[in-house]
Amino acid sequence: MLDYSLVNVLGACLIITSMTVVLARTGKAAAYLYSLQSLVLVGLLLSLGAVTGSPELFTWGATAFATKVILVPAILLFTLKKLDNNVEVDLPPKLNPMKSVALVAVEVFVCFVAVSGIDLPTAAAVKPTLAVSLAHFFIGLTCIVIQRSIFKQIFGYCLMENGSHVTLALLAPQAPELVEIGVATDAIFAVIILAVLVWRIAHYAHTLDADDLCELKG
Amino acid sequence: MSIIVAFLQAVLLVAIAPLISGIARNIRAKMHSRKGPSILQDYYDLAKLWKRCEVREGGSGLISRLMPPIYLGSFVLVAAGLPLIMQACPVPYLGDIITILYLMALPRFMFSLASIDSAGSYTAIGGVRELLVGVLVEPSLILVLFVMALAAGSTNVGVMAHAVASLEAYPFVAVVVAGIACAMACYIEMGKLPFDLAEAEQEIQEGPLAAYSGPSLAMLKLGVSVKQLVVASIFVAIFIPFGAAATTAPLDILLGFVLYIVKVLAVFLVAAVIENSVMRVRYKLLGRYTWFVVGIASLSLVFLVIGI
Repeated sequence: MLDYSLVNVLGACLIITSMTVVLARTGKAAAYLYSLQSLVLVGLLLSLGAVTGSPELFTWGATAFATKVILVPAILLFTLKKLDNNVEVDLPPKLNPMKSVALVAVEVFVCFVAVSGIDLPTAAAVKPTLAVSLAHFFIGLTCIVIQRSIFKQIFGYCLMENGSHVTLALLAPQAPELVEIGVATDAIFAVIILAVLVWRIAHYAHTLDADDLCELKG
Repeated sequence: MSIIVAFLQAVLLVAIAPLISGIARNIRAKMHSRKGPSILQDYYDLAKLWKRCEVREGGSGLISRLMPPIYLGSFVLVAAGLPLIMQACPVPYLGDIITILYLMALPRFMFSLASIDSAGSYTAIGGVRELLVGVLVEPSLILVLFVMALAAGSTNVGVMAHAVASLEAYPFVAVVVAGIACAMACYIEMGKLPFDLAEAEQEIQEGPLAAYSGPSLAMLKLGVSVKQLVVASIFVAIFIPFGAAATTAPLDILLGFVLYIVKVLAVFLVAAVIENSVMRVRYKLLGRYTWFVVGIASLSLVFLVIGI
């Protein structure tokens, strides 16, 4: 079982979990589901490490577990706790979330078509997962575009970030730890900054609705 | 041997359909904290209706008269061809997905035709609702069965069942996702809340059922219960074929039979619990829910194309 097919199955699980993050009704549920998705990501990194025989990926998995499974959801849940009770966090998305599933399917397909043109020796066996990682960029973008609540838009950024993490692991499994630290700290600090922004905006504007916030400009 | 099995399973499905529907009604009553009717209530209803004389509407024609036997007959025919007890189709001609889909579309077509043919002024509204559900659900069901046909390498349901049971259906995740989509599509096809209420024959939503009486109504009521059982069986046959008889040895067939009953009862139990925890949706909003099913079905197709 320990071959590239396991990596590909975990890649499919990554798509399914990220879809649940997009579909989650409450911010709290989205944070827990994001944690689950990162757990799948850690599983993918570890299985890829076992398959390609690169010990670097095991350390990647360990740091990803610490930062993405525990730290990022914890920051987001802490922000949720700090927000005033009168601020509405769980705003309904702009697009019917049921339709976004079909949109995700289309995005994955388009990414597969795009990836099938790439001819790299390192990525021949894991082309489906490469398509999945590329699709995460678009899923994250979908999440940012369709969500009205700026808190939930953070998850869009996190999903994109997970996608880039997988792409890096697939194309450069032997990359040194330093690169990985760059990716991980990037995610942590970006999420902290976004969380602080959300908190400040909620504190002053008393709303998290992106449409309402658009009226603040100029 | 297989012809006997085909005949027996068609008779069996017709015989136990009212019982299953009675059990579902009983579960609903229990969840509402009522005592509820006996689980044999549907048999009593059918027997009573069968004895009554038939009253026809003035102005209704041949279509209305033909609809009840065609409705019941098509589902009985589907039931005969499904690989319920064995992993292979007892009658291979009837086990093709294209045949099954058309045999399921025929009753719906006749149903809506009868709703126009009826002299009543409200039956057509119910017919529209029935057609709308069909238009929204059937594409997902077709897509799912298409995915399974590609994964198993055949349009025969028996081959699909064998491929799933022996874990040979190739893109594993695609098959699992297709199973989830099929479960949802079948649930909507079963005519359960929030989408439909199959036994609401007195209401406008069930269209021409309000215009029938006596043996015709009995046939239609039986047809609706058989339809629920057949649709649940399609899901069980394709996606949960584990334990079905691989050979025609009597012991295997007995085991397959017992397991089939257990699986179908489990499906109905889950359906009954879901049904009673939701309320009926306005039919204009049906599309919101069915989009989700279409999304999952297309995701399974994409996974199949990608090969995971």
